[in-house]
Amino acid sequence: MRALQFEAPVWLGRDHNFEVVHSVTLFAEYLREGRIKLDKSVFANERCTYQDPCNVSRNGGCGKDAREIIKYLCEDFVEMEPHGDYNFCCGGGGGAIPMAGAFRERRLRSGKVKAEQIRATGASICITPCHNCYDQIRDLNKEYELGIKVLSFKEMFEEALIVPEELKAKDEDEDEE
Amino acid sequence: MAEETAFDPKKFKEAVEEKTNARLKMWLEICAHCGLCADTCHFYLANDKDPKMIPAVKGKRVLEAFKKKDKIDEEFLEDFYWTVYGDCTMCRRCTMFCPFGIDIATITSTGRGLCVSQGKVPENLVKTIESYYKHGNQMEVSEEDWIDTLQWMEEELQEELPGATIPIDKKGANLLYTVNAREPKFYPMDISQAAMVFYLAGEDWTMSSKGWDDTNLAMFAGDLKAASYISQLVRDAAEELEVKRVAITE
Repeated sequence: MRALQFEAPVWLGRDHNFEVVHSVTLFAEYLREGRIKLDKSVFANERCTYQDPCNVSRNGGCGKDAREIIKYLCEDFVEMEPHGDYNFCCGGGGGAIPMAGAFRERRLRSGKVKAEQIRATGASICITPCHNCYDQIRDLNKEYELGIKVLSFKEMFEEALIVPEELKAKDEDEDEE
Repeated sequence: MAEETAFDPKKFKEAVEEKTNARLKMWLEICAHCGLCADTCHFYLANDKDPKMIPAVKGKRVLEAFKKKDKIDEEFLEDFYWTVYGDCTMCRRCTMFCPFGIDIATITSTGRGLCVSQGKVPENLVKTIESYYKHGNQMEVSEEDWIDTLQWMEEELQEELPGATIPIDKKGANLLYTVNAREPKFYPMDISQAAMVFYLAGEDWTMSSKGWDDTNLAMFAGDLKAASYISQLVRDAAEELEVKRVAITE
């Protein structure tokens, strides 16, 4: 997002003739406009926290949209401290995930701050809308034995989206009878 | 990139000269060493407050490189390489606390650019850049595999939602949805989940057979030539399909 939305128009010498939008902003729009609806009871028994990806929140401006989605999705939500624009990097950013070898050890060590932040929330689910954060926090979950589930918004939507009856697949057995 | 891996002080000096600009020069000289950035950095906190991990100290390494130009030696370069790639994720948290707003992320990125001049880039990042040039995405996904994955995910989705589709190259759509190449490679369900959301929201959307990977690891590698090329792929796809918006995956 950082590359395409902010850097690319400069690299390529002119503005895009299209708008660049992050999924988080798009999903918040859909919910706000009532275009999709979520069943909030699905995750009612889980405590959720949110990992602000550096390039989505601090450097992308989508932190507020993420909180808006969370209002439609989670009953029990606890912020990490600090969070939003002041959130700590998970340690997986800046290309750290694909760097292997000795970089991996540095990456896991640097994630200690994030692991402690997550643990302090007492959350059972850590939501993050970034593949780098997602992979890093899954690694931290093992390394620091956090015992959490790491999920994207999309994964939670798959469970919680309210699907109108007429759009659902019909049960074939029922048809035959 | 093998021919570029040789230690070459002349090329290093050229890179320094190419990357020198007023803003960077000011940042490197204005730092008052107040230390406010120290506690803002997760590397510093996670490494028992090792002074080497203070953002200002890491920035100073880049200043040294700028001053050394072709006077660098291999030992300096090696240490410099580990600092710019291994000790900073360019998250920009320190900048939020710096009284002068010094952008350590840009300084680190510039430092990585100097390493690029020596062909000194972490091996796996180099592989992804080669893959962007060859396949248009970081994960060596061929166009055939990409289309197959989209069709497979469409079939999966239709088992639950018979009317849902994953449109490919639909000209004039409102929205072009782009993904991280890790999705077709490791997390294909991400694609059907997104399609489910778009279907239920009644979005007029499409995916593209080309220029669909919205990641840009070349930017993180410090290779701006490759980074520009990668963004051009997505921009070309969006303009070819005449979409109004391009959405970036989670």
